[in-house]
Amino acid sequence: MSRAESTRYRGKAGQWAFVGHRVSGFLVFLFLLLHIVDVSLLRWPDTYDQVHQLYGNVLLRLFEVGLLFALLFHSFNGLRIVAIDFFPDAVRNQERLLQAVVALTLLAGIPGGIVIMWPFIEGRIL
Amino acid sequence: MTATETRPPERPRHKPSAEARSWAFMRLSGLLLLFFALVHFAITHIVNDVVETDYDFVAERWHNPAWRVFDWMLLVLALSHGLNGLRWIVDDYVRTPRRNRAVKGLLYGLTAVLAVVGTITIVIFPSAPR
Repeated sequence: MSRAESTRYRGKAGQWAFVGHRVSGFLVFLFLLLHIVDVSLLRWPDTYDQVHQLYGNVLLRLFEVGLLFALLFHSFNGLRIVAIDFFPDAVRNQERLLQAVVALTLLAGIPGGIVIMWPFIEGRIL
Repeated sequence: MTATETRPPERPRHKPSAEARSWAFMRLSGLLLLFFALVHFAITHIVNDVVETDYDFVAERWHNPAWRVFDWMLLVLALSHGLNGLRWIVDDYVRTPRRNRAVKGLLYGLTAVLAVVGTITIVIFPSAPR
């Protein structure tokens, strides 16, 4: 079995769900590492506040929106995986379940993203 | 993560194996994180704007020990859930035994350091305002 084959199975929707779950989980973990370091600056209140203000700029706000989408997809797809594990019959509807995962991610992510970007949309920050 | 999507592992007959436990742990920690991570994100990014969550905001919140426990639970659950996920990823892509051990060693070391840093951050934070 070649390396490429080792992480591929059956293709189609399930494969994309797998890739999405892996990539979103990896990205959230990377953010977590960064986040633990920035929060540790609380030991030095003024430094913490200065560094923390950076999260308010437009680039990092876009990054936060990305984090939100990664979190939401990983959460909803995780529920899909659990549903299939505990109710094996659900596997017959797994493609429709994935559509629901994507729909819920967009449904929660778009309004959330707008809230995060609001200061920029209002023109208060660049 | 891969195989479980279409084919749940066999039911353990006697003692569950380490991998069966790891599988169960991912489900349990994942379900708990659904609550902890999403509530945390909602408070710090949606209900409050991110720039409002400054030192004073943290001081007010961590004045209540329950929030320290909440944040510490989130820290431990997220790190261990992420660590186990990354362990699966490393096993999938780093095939040479020596390199596999080296990458995992690095991963475990880094995660342990960050768990300690995060715990210290929560514990030593003063309960009186600055």
